[in-house]
Amino acid sequence: MKSLVLVKHVPDGNSVFRLNPAGTWVDETNLSFTVNDFDRYALEELLKLKDAGKVEEVVALTVGPADAAAALRTCLATGADRAIHVKDEALAGSDPFVVARAIHAAIASEGFTLILGGLQADDDNHTQVGGLVAGLLDWPFASAAVGLSLLSASTLRVDRELENNEVQVVDLTLPAVVTVQTGMNTPRYASLKGIMAAKKKPVATLSLSDLGLNPADVGAKLRTVSLAPPPKGKGAEILTGSPDEVAKALVGRIREKTGVL
Amino acid sequence: MAKVLVLAEHDGKNLKEISFELLGMAHKIAGGAGEVKAVLLGEDVSELASRLAERGASEVIYVEGASVRHYTGDGYRRALVPVVTEESPDLILLGHTPNGWDLAPLLAARFSAPAATGCSKIVLEIGKGRFTRKAFNGKFVHEIEIASARPMVATVEKGASIPVEGGSAGTVRPVAAAVAESDMRARHVEIKKAEAGGLDLSQASIIVSAGRGIGAAEKLDVIRALAEALGGQLGASRAVTDAGWLPHEHQIGSSGTSVSPKLYVACGISGAIQHVVGMKSSGYIVAINKDADAPIFGVADVGVVGDLFEIVPALTRAVKEAKH
Repeated sequence: MKSLVLVKHVPDGNSVFRLNPAGTWVDETNLSFTVNDFDRYALEELLKLKDAGKVEEVVALTVGPADAAAALRTCLATGADRAIHVKDEALAGSDPFVVARAIHAAIASEGFTLILGGLQADDDNHTQVGGLVAGLLDWPFASAAVGLSLLSASTLRVDRELENNEVQVVDLTLPAVVTVQTGMNTPRYASLKGIMAAKKKPVATLSLSDLGLNPADVGAKLRTVSLAPPPKGKGAEILTGSPDEVAKALVGRIREKTGVL
Repeated sequence: MAKVLVLAEHDGKNLKEISFELLGMAHKIAGGAGEVKAVLLGEDVSELASRLAERGASEVIYVEGASVRHYTGDGYRRALVPVVTEESPDLILLGHTPNGWDLAPLLAARFSAPAATGCSKIVLEIGKGRFTRKAFNGKFVHEIEIASARPMVATVEKGASIPVEGGSAGTVRPVAAAVAESDMRARHVEIKKAEAGGLDLSQASIIVSAGRGIGAAEKLDVIRALAEALGGQLGASRAVTDAGWLPHEHQIGSSGTSVSPKLYVACGISGAIQHVVGMKSSGYIVAINKDADAPIFGVADVGVVGDLFEIVPALTRAVKEAKH
């Protein structure tokens, strides 16, 4: 069984973000980038299936600029067998639909049986690409997996995270696309040996013309007007002073407002 | 003269609150001259359809059949395609819920429809739609514009809109789901409770929660000490339970437990939307975080910007003194 993990190269979520001068996105110049957190769990799930002998090949794919190759290198060093980098200047400013179309075109002749991705990207939070790829392929889909097991060569059992501590168990007929939640496993880190081995693993770089797509076909439908800090709303009263001073003030507020002390 | 089609959610017995919120949002978007319809899928849901028709839909189309007895993306999408094709709405509205975000991209792919997710506000103008959503896990408001297409798809954040009250009752119309159960490529097995060890935070009156900012499992003791001093329970954000620092049953938020204690103390929690929806109805919210721009300060009543490893122990001491 051949499997694919969809990954995205995103700014580290612990960064201090500043807006770009146009106020249309964060200023990415001084940010460190990493593999999208959700995607690390997706990769780990496939590596576990490979360790168990249920998957022969794990391929990592990203759609993104030249820098995004770093995400693929991380996947290869962690254990993916090869990588596909869809890269084209016409894809700058693309939206989830465009990305999904590019993925769809890039894997047309690959014969994957299982495609995993993260539930969402930590930067744009669109929560769309996995489902769009499933829709374009007309394959069954399940999102927010917190558990996954192959019942047979043709059936995948997925635990889908719902709300209020509930989980839906659903069986998908393969081939299928599943997006995963964080926390479903413990992603492994790349070993030194893995990092060395990754240098010899193949990375295919594909442009839009390689995929048979015209730039006109991939015009983004979603256009960002602005990115801005959220309105402060009522906002918290911010206490200042030494730790002991603010602690004393907090006790006073808690006593006055809640009566629990 | 926009036409909006709302996908209602239910658990077989009751309509979910998001259904009414979506109808409220749909009316705001469609305006007085527009049209708001709802679609409901399930088995034996005529009664639910009638109830929904009293809450602001001019017509409720209910799709019945074994293939949509339970939600699956495959079953719902295939049953909805003929309805969407026939109704040809300008906009399909779903909740930004586990089923809504599952289904929205499947519909979008099928209809080559642009989709916006997690919206808190939607305005349809001539030739375009404007969608307000969040990005970077709530750190920023993201405003996007989409050139008009029919249909467009959007998921709406919980609590973003208020239900319609009163109004005239709409009609209901049954449709048979056109998918044989044997053709289904996704089969519902069961709904089960996530692993639990008997902790019920939903009834707690005092909760002290730890977030990513604690940095390591062993540092939880600082938070635990404050919880004990206050006589409260220990909660956590997703980052803490994902890392395995605490079991899942401590997780507060949309996928964990929703809480409304008298006092909620958030320590090292940035305030991602998934966490905030689970605790914002708390009586009094204290936030301690090193990042002054953390969204948690937008929902807290009182906050301290600083190192939680200095402030929390000081607070624990002050609480103990106050109890003497």
